[in-house]
Amino acid sequence: MLTRPKSVFSEIGTRAIENGLADPTISAFYEAIMSAPAGKTQEALKEFLPQLSLCSDKVSPLVPPPIFYVGRDSGQRHLFGDDWASPETSTTPLRTPDPDLERISAEAYMRALNDEPYYGYARTVVQAGSQSYEVAFERLIVTLRPSPVADYRICAYLGIIQDLQKTT
Amino acid sequence: MHRTHYRPLETYVPEHIQPCSKPASDLKAAIEAANLGDMWSMILTLDYGVSEVEELSVEKQDEFLNVMALLLKAYQS
Repeated sequence: MLTRPKSVFSEIGTRAIENGLADPTISAFYEAIMSAPAGKTQEALKEFLPQLSLCSDKVSPLVPPPIFYVGRDSGQRHLFGDDWASPETSTTPLRTPDPDLERISAEAYMRALNDEPYYGYARTVVQAGSQSYEVAFERLIVTLRPSPVADYRICAYLGIIQDLQKTT
Repeated sequence: MHRTHYRPLETYVPEHIQPCSKPASDLKAAIEAANLGDMWSMILTLDYGVSEVEELSVEKQDEFLNVMALLLKAYQS
């Protein structure tokens, strides 16, 4: 009998994007960011903003950075819903509602913040409210300074859901 | 006995001048104090297409200010 692990999180590396193997939206976003002249990254972001989630640069080995912006057409909004993505009041930083996904995702953000853009594939079961889903997605995480003089960075996350199935 | 209750006309506040639920100036000051002013301008310009928050409808102002509140928390955590 064929078995497969519950979750797969693997880094593919940005060379695959450069070789044309990534989702077209991920390729276009990567190209736009990498080719943006110094100080022009905001303009490069504009076209893709509705599909992005933006996070801070506060990361630790088991805790990914808090999210502050979830684009209207982003994969995270699609998966977790508008109520999660746009809370009317917030007393705590915004994080995905699945603790396991949070813990596993931290490493990718650390790679992006400490080394270079992270491009990878993931397949896992996520909990959204009372429903669980098996979701497969590509994800690209790039870090940017909003201006040349900013002393902080933002993480821009582009996740493209390839498959989404209810499991319960 | 039939009674009709009228609201005095002066209590009516047109929707377009209803106050936003969060004070934008206070939040902007907090964002500036945290050196995150670039993000205020960036999101406002790129996503909402305006340069001042007062140019947005009340609903959009609330939406934008909620994003800014999350921004503040994201960098304070």
